[in-house]
Amino acid sequence: MSWQAKFGRVVVGLAVMLAVLASPLRAQVRNSGASTITLQAVLTDSISVSLSGNAVNFNLTAGSASNPGSVGVTATTSWLLKPSVGSVNLYAFFSNSAAALTDGAGDNIPSADFQISDNAGPFAALTSTVPFGGANAGLQVSSVKILGNNRSGTRTDVLNFNINLSTSPNMNAGTYTGTLTIQAQAI
Amino acid sequence: MKTRKLFRIGVVALGVALATSMASAQAYNSGAQTIALNATLAESLTLSLSANSVNFTLAAGSAANAGSTNITATTSWVLKPGRTAVGVYAYFGNAAAALTDGAGNNIPSSAFFIADNAGASTALTNTVAFGAANGGLQLANVSITGANKNASRTDVMAFNINLSGGTLPQLPAATYTGTLNIQAQATP
Repeated sequence: MSWQAKFGRVVVGLAVMLAVLASPLRAQVRNSGASTITLQAVLTDSISVSLSGNAVNFNLTAGSASNPGSVGVTATTSWLLKPSVGSVNLYAFFSNSAAALTDGAGDNIPSADFQISDNAGPFAALTSTVPFGGANAGLQVSSVKILGNNRSGTRTDVLNFNINLSTSPNMNAGTYTGTLTIQAQAI
Repeated sequence: MKTRKLFRIGVVALGVALATSMASAQAYNSGAQTIALNATLAESLTLSLSANSVNFTLAAGSAANAGSTNITATTSWVLKPGRTAVGVYAYFGNAAAALTDGAGNNIPSSAFFIADNAGASTALTNTVAFGAANGGLQLANVSITGANKNASRTDVMAFNINLSGGTLPQLPAATYTGTLNIQAQATP
């Protein structure tokens, strides 16, 4: 056998060996360990009330049942609630039923003489005990049942006001001031 | 042993359920929004009359010359704290010439009488809150208490001219005209 033939055989053998060795090396995949990321998304529950105005004036006539407020106020209640909430209630209240408005000199207009009409409904006096404010000094303006389709929602209540002085005919002339509070509760 | 274990698990589950239900009953409140209220009951005092003219057919020297009609004065008020009285007054601008013929002949206020609510007939000879000195009469005085800060009062006035005194019997024939004022005052 000539040296060229020998050399050829060696070359072929080496080529075959290289091919055999190289092919499994190229097919191997190397993976890292798996790292995890914990995800947390919080949709916070909320409830808020906004008012279209914050002042109402009254020109009173002594002994008159009809002393309307100068302007209506729209209360917009917005909420985003947990599934367990059953209703959203809107309340109007004073802190003191005996002196909803006062002239500061001992002459008062009680909450029983202060009336609210909600969304053009009948006027109702603030004589109930509600979750907020003084005893017998409040009114539940509205109540919305929370179902699956309104856990996120809004409601508007157009509030009109009246002071009924028919049961307080002997009031002193004067300027009577007070603060009516509007607040919502989800329960 | 197995039953006890099951019982314990049941108690724990019940506790968790109770806690969850209590948590869900908690009320969730919005912020409180306020509306400032301002109500003004203005002080007022008004007086209205049922009529605005009275005629007299005079008889010379006669003490009794009654007016043609009575007039009712209605006084209404809504008062501030501190007022203690409402007075109603009748008065002329000139005591010497309550009525005049415009030619120097006059009927003085002392000859002009008013009977209030069928009471005694009284001449206008006092100095009152309004009008001329010695030319008036206080018809009524109402004490203001807690019960009548907002109230009204009526005074039915009957009029008479007495021409029997002094030189009045010599009053010349003529038409005598004058203006009687009725006014109310709340004090202090």
